[in-house]
Amino acid sequence: MTVTETRTPTRGSARQGLIDCDVHVSPRSIDEIKGYLSMPWRDRYTGGGRGLFGNPVHGARLDSTPPGGGPTGSDPDFLRKQLVDEYGHAYCILLPRAFCNLHPDPDFGTAIAAAFNDWLADTWLSKYNDDGVFKGSITVNIQDPIGAAKEIERWAGHPHFVQVMTDSGARAPFGQRQYYPIYEACERHGLRFAIHPGTDGMGINVQPSPGYPTHYIEWHTCLSLSFQAHLVSFITEGVFDRFPGFGVTLTEGGVSWVAPLMWRLDAEWKALRSEVPWVTKAPSAYLRDHVRLSSQPLENPDNPKQLLQIFEMMDAEHILMFASDYPHWDFDSPTHAFPKLPEALHRRIFSENAREWYNLA
Amino acid sequence: MGRHVIGLAGELPPGSRRIVEAEGRSIGVFNVHGSYYALRNSCPHQAAPLCLGAVKGMTMPCKPGEYIWAREGEIVRCPWHGWEFDITTGRSIFNPHKMRVKTYEVTVEQAGDELPDEVETFPVTVEEGLVILHT
Repeated sequence: MTVTETRTPTRGSARQGLIDCDVHVSPRSIDEIKGYLSMPWRDRYTGGGRGLFGNPVHGARLDSTPPGGGPTGSDPDFLRKQLVDEYGHAYCILLPRAFCNLHPDPDFGTAIAAAFNDWLADTWLSKYNDDGVFKGSITVNIQDPIGAAKEIERWAGHPHFVQVMTDSGARAPFGQRQYYPIYEACERHGLRFAIHPGTDGMGINVQPSPGYPTHYIEWHTCLSLSFQAHLVSFITEGVFDRFPGFGVTLTEGGVSWVAPLMWRLDAEWKALRSEVPWVTKAPSAYLRDHVRLSSQPLENPDNPKQLLQIFEMMDAEHILMFASDYPHWDFDSPTHAFPKLPEALHRRIFSENAREWYNLA
Repeated sequence: MGRHVIGLAGELPPGSRRIVEAEGRSIGVFNVHGSYYALRNSCPHQAAPLCLGAVKGMTMPCKPGEYIWAREGEIVRCPWHGWEFDITTGRSIFNPHKMRVKTYEVTVEQAGDELPDEVETFPVTVEEGLVILHT
């Protein structure tokens, strides 16, 4: 047990309880994960990320490397200093990056997911978490829905896991029925289901653009594509009708597209409703009950008024939640990424929406 | 207008930089190919510590499919979002007219009475000029 000094009770008060919905933490080394893997996976696991489309500049903030060494996001004291203490976070929603969706062997992917969950629970959600500022995401291997559901059961009731997470990379849109064991388990245990970019077009997964783009700039800009496809799939397949207590957190998938996509889907639905008769209300009407978007990377038009208009169009007051993506290169600062917002809207986006969504105190 | 002794020229050789505090502001002083420049250490985008970024060259505007690498040592890239700034002008590469960081004048003057204490420990071969930041 690490001894940590008593912290001053500033968190949560300074900025009305800032909740950051996308914070990335990493093991100090691959051995930390290997320690939770049993054979034969321990020998087989070599770590690694998505493999292609590395950022040609830098992948993480250059100032986020812990002074004592180790990967970015691996040192709890430094992360607290640079994020929690700097901005007054009440909660950080942690999303580790296991990249387990890309493996052809479902048992291997599920074993990696489980090892990351064991590691997160033993470190950031307990040893490093004396004040409970860290809330975690249960990593699942989407390619193994039955294994994923068992993994969710394994952690159900844990005080600091607030959602289940997967990469956006997949072989089929997420509304399809093969995934339902996962959603059923999420609903049963009151856990949100987060989608985060990653492993699109990697390993066994489909790339959501027509073929592979050439450059990182294209790939990164187009990360929203799979989110859009997944969201349309969730609604039209009737996932939210089938699992009324189920909710999806669209993390780092972009923000400004959601209103026009819903207008388009609503328009289609007026004519084509009969194809999906279980969709008994306008598709856009599902968002407030079932979908949240995290803000980073926030699209920022040169004219900030236009962003405020987009917020109004998309019902940001109810469905947008702040995220920084610390420590990654496209970090959105809680104090600089947004234009000036009306106070009530600021409170919704930076605190209340996430507090309600994750049922946080 | 403040006048701040940054140190001896010999301590800031070409390719090096020093971050200093002057009148409550963090400022980066750079030696680019023997000339000195200073930039506010705060990116105009989201206030990241710009002057801690990597100092490199840049790919120049060119025809599709061409890569022309030039201006080595003249470009600093923000350590957060990677925006490129021309150290010699403070202007961003993507929009030099509208996106820029504040610059300050830097001069090198012969050391007089203002020698920092540590000068006594330097060997006599070190350049004697003092780097002065004007804010």
